[in-house]
Formats: sequence, C-alpha cells, structure tokens
Amino acid sequence: MPDRAKVTVTGTYLKGLKKKVEALKIFTEVSPVISSTLDLKELMTIVMEKAKDIMKAEACSILLYNKETKKLEFEVALCKAVSATDILKGKITLDMGQGIAGWVAKNRKLLVIKDVKSDKRFFHDADKLTGFVTKSLIAAPLIGRRGLIGVAEIINPGKRDMDLGILQLLTRHFAIAIENAQYHRDSLEKERLKQELEIASSLQKSFLPESPAFRRGNISVSAVNIPAKQVGGDLYDFIDPVEGKAGVFIGDVSGKGVSAALYMAKVISDFRYNALMTDSPEIVMNRLNAILSGAPRGMFLTAAYMIIDTATGETRLSVAGHPPFLWITGRGTEVSSIISGPPLGIVPDTYTSSSISLRRGDRLLLLTDGVFEAKNREGQRMGFDNFVNFVGKHAGEGQLAKIVADYVTNFSRGVDLADDMTVVEIGFS
Amino acid sequence: MNITVAVYRGKKVVELSGDIDMYSSPELREHLMALIRRKVPSLPVNFGNVSYIDSSGIATFVEGLKCMKSYGGRLQFFGIPEGIMEILRFSKLDRVFEIYGNIEDVFDS
Repeated sequence: MPDRAKVTVTGTYLKGLKKKVEALKIFTEVSPVISSTLDLKELMTIVMEKAKDIMKAEACSILLYNKETKKLEFEVALCKAVSATDILKGKITLDMGQGIAGWVAKNRKLLVIKDVKSDKRFFHDADKLTGFVTKSLIAAPLIGRRGLIGVAEIINPGKRDMDLGILQLLTRHFAIAIENAQYHRDSLEKERLKQELEIASSLQKSFLPESPAFRRGNISVSAVNIPAKQVGGDLYDFIDPVEGKAGVFIGDVSGKGVSAALYMAKVISDFRYNALMTDSPEIVMNRLNAILSGAPRGMFLTAAYMIIDTATGETRLSVAGHPPFLWITGRGTEVSSIISGPPLGIVPDTYTSSSISLRRGDRLLLLTDGVFEAKNREGQRMGFDNFVNFVGKHAGEGQLAKIVADYVTNFSRGVDLADDMTVVEIGFS
Repeated sequence: MNITVAVYRGKKVVELSGDIDMYSSPELREHLMALIRRKVPSLPVNFGNVSYIDSSGIATFVEGLKCMKSYGGRLQFFGIPEGIMEILRFSKLDRVFEIYGNIEDVFDS
C-alpha cells in the first residue's frame, strides 16, 4: 500500500471552509435567480425574497437613491409574507445621513444593529406606518458601477452568524443586477419616448398645409419648415379668405419642443377659424391677440398675416413682432419696414394693417428667426445682415425658400439647429 | 446662465449673466417667480452681462410681467447690450417691457 501524507486540519480551518461552501452555495443559488429578469420591479422583489430567505429575516426593504432629489425612497418592502411596498412607497423619504439607511448611504458602510431601540439613528416612521416592530437589522449600501444605487435593509434576521464579507459580496451582486435592470428600463423608456416623438412629429406636420406649395391666380407660394427638434413651434398656412384673395400666414411660438408644438396646434386652429370669417388681416390679428392672452407660462406668438389679391398683387398685411420679410424686385432686395405691433398674447393692443403693391416678377420671402439665429460649429450666429446679403446674391434664382433652407442647414452642419426654421416664398407673376 | 439677487439702495435687483435659453430659463423662472410671489412693487433686472436670450427666456419674463401687472408691480430692465436690444426691437418687445439705460435711471423712474 502506498504511503499516505498526513494532513492536520484544525477546527477553525474547517469552520472557514464550511462558510466558504455555504457562500458558494448561496451564490450558486442567487446568481441564476437574479439574472433571470431585467424587469426592475420583479427583480427587486426577487432580490428581497432571496435576501429574506438567506438571512431568515422577518422583513426586507430596498430604498433607492434619487439622484435628482438626493434622497432615499422606499422601493420595495416585504414584511413576513406580505408586501408593505404600497404602504411605504412615496410616503417616506430619507435625506442622506437621516435614519440608519441614510447613515449607510452617506458612509457607504454595512451596518449591523442588534438592538435598534438603543440606536439613536433609527427612524421609527416606517414601523409606525406598517405596524411592524423592528428589533434588529442589517443595512447594506447598494453600490453599482456608477456609484450609490440605494440601501438594502434586512430586518429581524434569524441568521446571526452570517459572514459580513459574504453579505457585502452578495449586496454588490444585487446592486449590479439592479443597476442592469435600471439601464434596461431607461433604454426602454428612451425608445418609447423616441417613438412618441416620431408620432408627434407626424401629427404636427398634419396641422400644416397638406402640400408646401400653393397657387391661386397669379400668386404662387412655397414653404419649407424644419423644426430644431422632432417637433417645433413654427407654423405657416395658406387660406382662401374670400374669392380672388389668398391668405398667407407665418408664425413662431415662443420656446421649442413639445410645449411649443402643442401651442402651435392650438394657434393654427384658432387662426383658421378666424381667418375664414374676414378678409382683414388686422381683425384676425386682434382676435388672435385676445384669444392667446391667457397663454400659460408667458408663451406668445410672433406672426405676420397677409392677404393678397391674386389678380392685381395688392396686398394687405398685419405684423405682430415678427421679423421683417424681404421684398425681391427687379431693383434688388429690400428689407420691409412694415409697422408692427408686439407679439400676440402678451398685452392688449390694437393691430393695424399696411398695404403694399406687388409687381409682376416680385417675390416676398417670409421667415422665422431660426433662419438668421442659426449657429455654426464655432458658435457664431448667422445674423440678419448676413442672411440678407445671401438672399441678395441669390435673388435671381428659383426656389429661393429651398436655397435659403439649404444654406442655413449647411451653416449649422455639425451642430443642432438653434431654433425651428420656416421660410415662405411668395411669387407674383 | 448665472443669476444672483443683489440689494441696491435697499431694493432687490436681479443680476443675470450668460445665455438665457430653454435650458436655463426654468432656473430663471424659479428665482423670478419666487420674488414676484412676494408681490415686490418693482423688480429691476440687470442684463449687463447677458450674452443671448431666446424666446423661452423672453416668455419667462412675459410670465413675470403679466403676474406683476396683475397687482400693479413693475418689471424693469436695464443695461441691455446692443445685440439683445436689437432682438427686443426686432420683435417690438421694447414696447412691452420697461427698459432703462442703467440702475440710476430705474430709480429715477
């Protein structure tokens, strides 16, 4: 028989080995369970049930750290077999440093408290609300790859000999699983928002005229509208107020994005309703000013509305704080100096109208400020004068609205558009 | 944007600097409305160091102006740089807001 080497094993070594086997057993059990879902709510419940089970605890809870409010909020709470989440969620928040969970979050250290009655940090409100009696607890910080996620609390644990090192590893494991689920939830939310904005963008386009081109008698109109975000607050419209006349409206709602887009939808329907009742642009502007005076958050509208005789080119227009339009004639490009009132929806005012006579071959270029406030990569703005010079150089070319829009888009290449942009070109032939 | 509230001759004065746009106007609104809710009879705003204001920023002041007018208060702008004055003139907002050259003009008004 071959000689066998004698190995002496101490009781301490065996105890350590037993703990390691136990830890391995726990990890083998926990890993597949917490990796089984990316649903944050489901995962939290699984994590809590598992922690409660391992620690033979009476209750468990997770408080998540809200980075915006810098407070801890109850997310999941399990008392015995019952969920106390509904009782605590949204009702109790803790500041960093407040209560035991707040202390753990602030100091990023695991805390074992054998008798909470003797610990001044203990915050009694959760017990008061749930009717539960906390005697002892273990509170562990949940720290992910990007910092603090929250705090897990194991309440009245029956298992007293749990190795704290294993507990720390376990909570780290939980934290990463929760963080992965949070990333997953955030990316789903982003995708949902993206789809919502795509739908909003199509809906908003449906408020504008079906075709960006419009022709009545000797008048031809074409428009380009590019929102800075998926939706925007610029608008234009073509309308037939009375036989033989064409109405052209351009406007810019203050702000950008969804709020401006919603307001734009209201404005365009108010405009259509009122513009079909009169062939006086100033009456429409005065009515719009009254309607929009109750706008929320100081929102307002700059606008210009012109009614053109499609046979003679005689035009009446009313302007409310809107940038001047360009008048391109055989003699050159002029910046209009039409009398304007303040933007609509701010103060009571009486808007008036002015008259101009278009000659055959004349063109008008109406725009919103997003055209000349466009920024380039160096952060410089185009400026109104540069824009006018550009138009002057290209005045002889056709499809000027498109040429201007392309120029602004090229100018802003590499950076987001600073504002929504609309160009409306009116030709009289 | 940076916003501070200074006291000049015993009166609160809002001092602004930087860009006032859709990203910074919520903070401006918070400060402005907190002062206006206390029904201050007048609120001078120093634009001396403002580099840009967009329509979101202007809307914040319009909201403040409407609130102040409802109780007879006055929102007063001063030190407006030429570039911003041009925006206000362009959109005829110089007819809407009370505009002064400097703080002394505000106090003399």
